Amino acid sequence: MKARARLVVERDSGGASVVRELRSMSPLTLLPCPPSLHDGDPDTALVHLAGSAATPLGGDVLDLAIVVGPGARLRLVGVGATLALPGQHPGPSTMSVTIEVGAAGSLEYLTEPTIVVSAADHHADLRADLAADARLRCREVVVLGRSGERPGAFHSETRLRRDGTTLLRQRLDLGGALDATPTHLAGHPVIATELLVWGADPAEAAVGDWWSLVPLAHGGSLATVLAEDTITAYRRLDTATAAHPGLAEPAAAVPVSG
Amino acid sequence: MPADHTTGHGHTHPVSFDPTATAPDPHAPRAEAGRAVRIGIGGPVGCGKTALVAALCRALGDEVALAVVTNDIYTTEDADFLRRAGVLDPERIEAVQTGACPHTAIRDDITANLDAVERLERRYPGLELVVIESGGDNLTATFSRGLVDAQVFVVDVSGGDKVPRKGGPGVTTADLLVINKTDLAQHVGADMAVMVADAHRMRRHRLPVITQSLVDTPDAPEVAAWVRARLADAAPSGAA
Amino acid sequence: MPDDLDAAGAAAILSLVDSRFPGGGHAHSGGLEEAAARGLVTDPQTLAGFLRGRLHTAGALAAVFAAAAAHTARNLLSPPAASRADTNGVGEAEFARATGNGHGSTGRRQWTALDAELDARTPSPAQRAASRAQGSGMARAGRSAWPSPVLDGLLAATPRPHQPVLLGALAGIAGASPTQAALAALYLAVSGPASASTRLLGLDPFEVNAAVVALSAPMSEIAAHAAQTCHLRPADLPAPSAPALDLMAEAHDRTHRMEVRLFAS
Repeated sequence: MKARARLVVERDSGGASVVRELRSMSPLTLLPCPPSLHDGDPDTALVHLAGSAATPLGGDVLDLAIVVGPGARLRLVGVGATLALPGQHPGPSTMSVTIEVGAAGSLEYLTEPTIVVSAADHHADLRADLAADARLRCREVVVLGRSGERPGAFHSETRLRRDGTTLLRQRLDLGGALDATPTHLAGHPVIATELLVWGADPAEAAVGDWWSLVPLAHGGSLATVLAEDTITAYRRLDTATAAHPGLAEPAAAVPVSG
Repeated sequence: MPADHTTGHGHTHPVSFDPTATAPDPHAPRAEAGRAVRIGIGGPVGCGKTALVAALCRALGDEVALAVVTNDIYTTEDADFLRRAGVLDPERIEAVQTGACPHTAIRDDITANLDAVERLERRYPGLELVVIESGGDNLTATFSRGLVDAQVFVVDVSGGDKVPRKGGPGVTTADLLVINKTDLAQHVGADMAVMVADAHRMRRHRLPVITQSLVDTPDAPEVAAWVRARLADAAPSGAA
Repeated sequence: MPDDLDAAGAAAILSLVDSRFPGGGHAHSGGLEEAAARGLVTDPQTLAGFLRGRLHTAGALAAVFAAAAAHTARNLLSPPAASRADTNGVGEAEFARATGNGHGSTGRRQWTALDAELDARTPSPAQRAASRAQGSGMARAGRSAWPSPVLDGLLAATPRPHQPVLLGALAGIAGASPTQAALAALYLAVSGPASASTRLLGLDPFEVNAAVVALSAPMSEIAAHAAQTCHLRPADLPAPSAPALDLMAEAHDRTHRMEVRLFAS
């Protein structure tokens, strides 16, 4: 199965962020939520991303493009966990997400866990290009195998650039014999990360029991968590991101005329 | 006992495991104009290196722009002792990790110590003296000439009066040998006359030996005088 | 790579990976000290797992950048002739054009780009600091052993270079191939922690040595992969990562400030 979904959010003349383009394709279903139906910031567009049961399967190629225009704000929230499964077709399942955030725009991309079930081979690719003063908050949780199950393979590639400079590039190869080694996952079945280019960066690393929030060399920061289960992973992720000074700041007001 | 300053001024000596080797160093000292004089303080665990460094800070702190590098084994004990002693601004003390190999860090691979010295030199332009204290090691642990301009090896009487006789490059080739804690000699049955005679013999009567007790002379005046002489040696001619 | 395995290059590689090479490496455990403190490495078996994991992640990343730096250094020393058949595909000529490569070039843009891209692949500040400490330590030794305008250019562009970049540059300056540079980076990625395990845990040095030698096959495999990517633009170089190693590096750094450990990393 091949699916391409696309979401474009722009800022209108009144200062509100509006969905300009929305193309869903099963299993990538994008569901905008009108401001009247949620109690979040009315100037931030809220869109839910719902998968469908039993995807992605081996052989599936899913592609999601997210464009946030200058000054616009988007909160894209996953609904329900994703199960990466083996398929009848040869080859891995792949999910590619490309993100563009324009000047003074902001995107929160908060997905639910991806569970890599036995014999799956899933590739997750994330490319984000930010304007110099754009904001991004991107959370990913990966669970290797259902309870007691030997997981399939999970590969991810993350590329984050701001104004042409690479802030983070990271490849993860999980689900193999290396998971148990002290260098890789040290035996933890859950890994969670949160990428933050969101106002002030932390001045120095914050670190605790199998979590850290670290400032990246050229701006932005990364929270990384290893855990025995998703509840612990989210708790540690919350602890890590609580140390982020930018999240505590109120979002900068964007002038309407700008 | 006064320092033997009759010979040895301006000379440096190669590290050698031959206890009889005290021939003048064929290599010229690494004099780089404008950088601080680097003096190493080495010696076995517990011989009083840190106390000597503290004494030198007290004796010289007001007249010389100085800083200290410590090579602690696995705690910040030495650096903390110096900071607590209040003999020096804590910012003037750098501690380096030695990867469980204190002798490697001062002799075979001096990178971490050179980095620390250069950090201090950058932090304090015009720095005149850096004292580098080795981690407590053994009788064979000496400083590389790539790291220090002159070195002091410290032994103490509580290890017994046979220590100088055992030789090793620290005892035989250090620019200055200090026999420390002389006040304990009577308690441990160490014969000072034997120790001093052995020390001079092992050093071919050419390199200085100082005996001292920091209980009796807390500011280590003789060692401080020797350090002043090293600073004068390094000063541009006419300015000394 | 028998085509460019010349004797001078091989000798340089031997020197660079010698545990007696005075580049400051002996004070770094590559995360082993923290892993040992947590009881994750206790014996030759758990050490073998640590070394294998490190080889495939931090080691592979170092290999990629060492190979790319060796390639860059060699090109700066003798730029590929425009007419020469391009054995590495289109990337080579494109790279040379894009970076203003040629005689008289100091390679500033190449070195700065490699430095920034390795930064981006090293999220842990403690690991960036350890890499730069070892890179500048190695530079001090390298200036004595392999003086070169290429090395001067690298240090002018990045005064405290990352270790894999500096290692690869020295290898390339000495005539070693990108594969050899990658091998050196891989060997150093495991020999340092292995040596630290004998000092910290008192493990049998013969078993520890055997654990390093047992990685020979993956080492040559990863080195060959790294050499295949050496001509890519720095932004396109692979980025293998090791989450637990990153976390332990930060924990070790924090512990340092409270109770100094034996190793700097």
